[in-house]
Amino acid sequence: MANSKKYWKGFDDLIDSPISKSLAENEFAEPLPSTDFYGDEKKLESSSTSRRDFLKFLGFSTAAATLAACEAPVVESIPYVVKPEEIIPGVPNYYATSIFQGGDFASVLVKTREGRPIKIEPNKDVAFNGGTSARIQGSILSLYDANRLQEPMAGGDISSWPEVIKATKAAIEKANNSGKQVLFVTQNIISPLANKLVGQMAMQYSNLHHIIFDGTSFSGKLDFYEKAIGKRALPTMNLDNASLIVSFNADFLGEYTGQSVSSTYAAKRKPGKSMLRHVQFESMLSISGAAADNRYKLRASEQAVALAYLYSKLGGAVSKPNVNESTASQLDAVAKELKAAAGTSLVLAGGNDEASEAFAFGINQLLGNVGKTLDVANLLLLHAENDAKLSNATKSLASGKVGAVVFVDVNAVHALPKSLGFTANLDKADAVITLTDRLDETAAVANYALPLTHFLESWNILHPTSNTVGLSQPTIGKLFNTMQFEEVLLAWLGEDKKLYDAVKETYSELNLDAPFNTALHDGVVSKEVAAAAALADVDYSGYAKAASAAVSSGTEIVFYRSTALGNGTYANNPWLLEMPDPISRVSWDNYLMVSPSKAEELGVRNYTESNGAVNGDYVTVTVGENQLENVPVFVQPGLAPDTVALAIGYGRTAAGKAGNEVGVNAATIMNGLQHWATGVSIAKASGKHEFACIQLAHTMMGRKIVNETTLEAFLNDSHESWNVKTKFETHKGQLTASETTLWQAHDHQTGHMWNMSIDLNSCIGCGACVIACNAENNVPVVGKDEMRRHRDMHWLRIDRYYSSDMTEEVAEEEGIRATTKFLKMEIASDNPEVVFQPVMCQHCNNAPCETVCPVAATVHSAEGLNHMAYNRCIGTRYCANNCPYKVRRFNWFSYENNSDFTAVNPAQDDLGRMVLNPDVTVRARGVMEKCSLCIQRIQYAKLEAKKDGRKVRDGEFTTACAQACDSGALVFGDINDSASRVAELKKDTRMYHLLEDVGTEPSIFYQTKVRNKA
Amino acid sequence: MRTRFRLTLKTRFYANVALVLFLFLSFFSASAEIEGDVANGKSLWNANCAACHKLDRKAVGPALGDVTERRTVEWLIKWIRNNQELRESGDRDAIAIWEEYNRSAMPNYPQFSDQDILDILAYTIDGGKPKEVVAGGDGVTLAPVDGGGSGPAKLPVLIGLGVFFVLLIMLLAKVKNTLRIVKGEDPESVASELSGFSRGLAKNSAFVTLATIIIGVLFLHQLYWTLMGVGMEQNYQPEQPIAFSHALHAGENGIDCNYCHSSARHSKHSGIPSANVCMNCHMYIDGSEITDASGNPKYGGESSPEIAKIYAAIGWDPAENAYIEGHEEMPIKWVRIHNLPDLAYFNHAQHVNAGGIECQTCHGPIEEMEEVYQYSPLTMGWCINCHRETEVQVETNGYYEDMHAKLAKKYPGEKITVEKIGGLECGKCHY
Repeated sequence: MANSKKYWKGFDDLIDSPISKSLAENEFAEPLPSTDFYGDEKKLESSSTSRRDFLKFLGFSTAAATLAACEAPVVESIPYVVKPEEIIPGVPNYYATSIFQGGDFASVLVKTREGRPIKIEPNKDVAFNGGTSARIQGSILSLYDANRLQEPMAGGDISSWPEVIKATKAAIEKANNSGKQVLFVTQNIISPLANKLVGQMAMQYSNLHHIIFDGTSFSGKLDFYEKAIGKRALPTMNLDNASLIVSFNADFLGEYTGQSVSSTYAAKRKPGKSMLRHVQFESMLSISGAAADNRYKLRASEQAVALAYLYSKLGGAVSKPNVNESTASQLDAVAKELKAAAGTSLVLAGGNDEASEAFAFGINQLLGNVGKTLDVANLLLLHAENDAKLSNATKSLASGKVGAVVFVDVNAVHALPKSLGFTANLDKADAVITLTDRLDETAAVANYALPLTHFLESWNILHPTSNTVGLSQPTIGKLFNTMQFEEVLLAWLGEDKKLYDAVKETYSELNLDAPFNTALHDGVVSKEVAAAAALADVDYSGYAKAASAAVSSGTEIVFYRSTALGNGTYANNPWLLEMPDPISRVSWDNYLMVSPSKAEELGVRNYTESNGAVNGDYVTVTVGENQLENVPVFVQPGLAPDTVALAIGYGRTAAGKAGNEVGVNAATIMNGLQHWATGVSIAKASGKHEFACIQLAHTMMGRKIVNETTLEAFLNDSHESWNVKTKFETHKGQLTASETTLWQAHDHQTGHMWNMSIDLNSCIGCGACVIACNAENNVPVVGKDEMRRHRDMHWLRIDRYYSSDMTEEVAEEEGIRATTKFLKMEIASDNPEVVFQPVMCQHCNNAPCETVCPVAATVHSAEGLNHMAYNRCIGTRYCANNCPYKVRRFNWFSYENNSDFTAVNPAQDDLGRMVLNPDVTVRARGVMEKCSLCIQRIQYAKLEAKKDGRKVRDGEFTTACAQACDSGALVFGDINDSASRVAELKKDTRMYHLLEDVGTEPSIFYQTKVRNKA
Repeated sequence: MRTRFRLTLKTRFYANVALVLFLFLSFFSASAEIEGDVANGKSLWNANCAACHKLDRKAVGPALGDVTERRTVEWLIKWIRNNQELRESGDRDAIAIWEEYNRSAMPNYPQFSDQDILDILAYTIDGGKPKEVVAGGDGVTLAPVDGGGSGPAKLPVLIGLGVFFVLLIMLLAKVKNTLRIVKGEDPESVASELSGFSRGLAKNSAFVTLATIIIGVLFLHQLYWTLMGVGMEQNYQPEQPIAFSHALHAGENGIDCNYCHSSARHSKHSGIPSANVCMNCHMYIDGSEITDASGNPKYGGESSPEIAKIYAAIGWDPAENAYIEGHEEMPIKWVRIHNLPDLAYFNHAQHVNAGGIECQTCHGPIEEMEEVYQYSPLTMGWCINCHRETEVQVETNGYYEDMHAKLAKKYPGEKITVEKIGGLECGKCHY
């Protein structure tokens, strides 16, 4: 019966249509071109190669190729012919040197291996800027940038040094002798040698004018101090005895005047009775605002008037200006606090306007802070710009009075604000000479492009503050046919002097106590400081008028330096480009930050694709006559009303293969050298922008991820109330996760037990650790597309969380149901409190990843580490799926040789590979990787101890991230050494583990964040 | 061997009459007749004089091959024993030499007996003779004598045996056939008899099964080891740019490994010595008189072309005894023998310095190797085995102080091996 059943293939079959008939007869709808396959029959028959033979040949050749591949290559081993005495292959050497690049000064130690620098470490013995920021950490990669200019160029062709020196000197001479001006446009110069040589040039060429342009100008501040203290220099901050900081738009932990205060700031903010309090008034969310105990929104244009209000409130001799009600009440409260903290407080002003600085200084003077928290004797010499000089020079240029323009490490065409009109008139100069490290936008219009050396190839003497003199020494020979600015100056002056001798001579002229070689060894020596000059009387009523006049309504735009690129010097540095911004968590971009309410008003939005990638709308921004098109919008809480913000230094077209076409150029719409502009109009444009934003969840949804409390609770309440341990109901009563574990405990008593403490109260989110980790562990750069897909390879990320208006307490009080509650919890407050949390592999002692690995590629060590054996890994990615912290990174591609990553991955060329750490494997495609707690450093330190026959000393080594951390948030050590700092910290009442209720028992632990709220 | 020098000179290697006559004449003209033990003289020379003097040419000090012709034995004894005293006594010759050599004083050797000095002088005569024997037009060079080191050639013997067995088989077949004929049966050829036998075997299922199993197992065994051997380079012995002999340096001369491979104590790399380290000795030594069994120079002779390669690399002019100004250094491209994959981290200092392991443990009898080869397999299994067996020096190294007490409690009565302190953990070598 069953056999007689007929199944129809379709209706055609049922009605027996001709199509179905023909289909039933012919298997293929069209005749197969078999004759094409087999050629003519005769030939086929006469051929001696049958199909079988073909397969035999195929098999044989495959086998032969396989066998041939098994043969090991001959590896050469080439020793030195004459080995330098100080080099032992395999053992690093460290050299102290000083950096001044892109406005950043730092005293650092450079780690070299077999003669090539591979890592920059902080020089922690140094008082001024001995730490490293993300940019300083990343600056080493710029040394090995293949897009560096390698030969001197004249008229677009490769030339030679003698020729270009002769030609450029002739151009300068010609301009000078014809009565035209010679403009020297440089960044700030803190080298006494360079200043001396520029002075000699000015003596020789009477029409030479020296203009300084640094990307960000502090000319207004300098104008004030010229009047007040008689010197064109900024005072230094001294937080050693500070108890209260009130900052107005001054991002002093990030991008401010160049003095790094994060280490003292963090030290002073250890929770306790004398914890430093920090109040921030700001127009956009900066990392200083994120760290503040109280943060208030203040429009940039109202900054000066707010300071004037505070000045008058504290007894300053100006009439109280009008400020809006909420700001007034905030300022009144702050005034009270400032009065109470007279002599130990510090008021800072941001921006580039004289009035703000005057009032900030006036307040400090009223409170008796000058000479205590604000040092006017020891001055900061990193800034000497003068906007008036620049505008005069522009006028001369426009009127054709300039004969030659010499740019020194200034990419004027890109970075000088369009509104100044300097670059538009550049073609009126007879000769344009640029000293540059790459063929940038300015080199494209210059007659001569002279390649500059990297600071790691240079000799120099630097004078960053009145009491600090630093020396730079080369750590590698010149990679290319380059010269440094001082060498070019010497050549122009016709002095046949070696740079080393010139530096030594300048050093001896400073009459310092330390011998030159000691200074060279230490990197920095201190210099005696003359007593501060008497303070001149300042006319505050004039400033008050200016402050009131500055107030404006309407939309304002703030131009800021991003944490990654600063003033744009590092625009082609892939490590820094890939570093997510601490606040927005966006990498490889700049964007117009708009508040959620402003976004609604403009009708623009950010939205997430199904793969987790963030997109945004474009807008056109108009400031005055200038327009910037296709600016992507990023919606960002924490902005002042009607304020938007845009980072400078992006939008390069000739930075190099990684940095080209990243972001938009803010200089197009900048209002001269002011840090903000008013009268902005924004219009929505078409198209969608693809962001590489790696954090989608911005709030903690009421969970204990970052544990936070107030100073009041910390001081008065039991830690169990603010550092709650989750307990589970069991038959033995309430137990914590670690007391109910199913896991078999490891023996962690016998040897070392490496642990790390991360103090969330100290972390300011600066990202130095991220870049330090990149450099130390050969972390690949993956580029924007991969970042968009959340395939970032960073072993260490810094999560940023905003507070939400909706909390469990609010929900309970107002009787809000769970669904609504959680929906609202996802939304950040309009002026959120911000926390940063560095997260790397937590090195769980009960590790979920270890149990699921089918090949035991990730296993536990007796020293509390979670090992990852790359060569054992087969890439199932079970471990990453099972990791509660999402810290495992999978190599989706072979980043170091896949052609898709040629533009972004520095390890794709021989030069970029030179920065790789030879002690760490470069991981292959298809394997998982993650933080190893710098096991290479652990093993190295253990071996050093064994060689000396002693125990490992606490603090003798640390991980790359902890070493780079200027604020000391990360402390690494052996908790089995009971005297170690980390053992102490593990017992701290603030200590907790991330997701401790999961019971993973990590070796990394966190310290509760404490806010000193008013 | 104590040889008397008395006009006739019996040497081990050179027995050319012309040469003897030549020497006879030359020594006859020498000032004194020297009786000395050449062998003792040589060892004293090497220990005390060779650093500064050469026989055939000037080094730090003058060439001494013909010194007995230039000076009297008495004067030489005085000079060698205490040249300062001799100078101070106002000896003109002594002062002249001192001046000639930039007033660099030669050490005094008061410990030498007269006979010692005579021995050395005898050696200067013996050692100073030309070694290449070319006398007149038909100079006699010694034909190399077969050292007898190689055993009897094996292949002909095997072929001979094979032929013998084949003949034997044929003979037996003949005998068998003869017996068959005697019994009145038909004779069978060897071939047909063999094929009958093999057919019988093929039908024997027990045999077939056994043979299949044996062949299969052998095949798999071979396959396994072939595959396991992929990338393994045991016995790898590449040709090096300089025929450097560890047997000579580490073996015969007994130079400590760490002298040249000084990084091994400090670094992960043992380090190939740079040419300037070679020059510490080779500034004075540019050849070796050591000969092989047949009397040919073993290491390139008196003026070794191999050592000349170092000179070429670093720019040393042996004739002038000075570095060549402005010489462009030519790195020596050694071929690396011990190659670990990039994924494995190995540190020499850990093993040599902290672990106190002898170089030979991994590198084998290096002091016997004329040409170095990879002695150990350098596989992970080999590493692990050693880590399982090797005891850690917990008692003597301060690093282990605390750990030792805890380990002793944890493993009572057991050896504390590398394994027990975590030496088998992945992350110890792979990161």
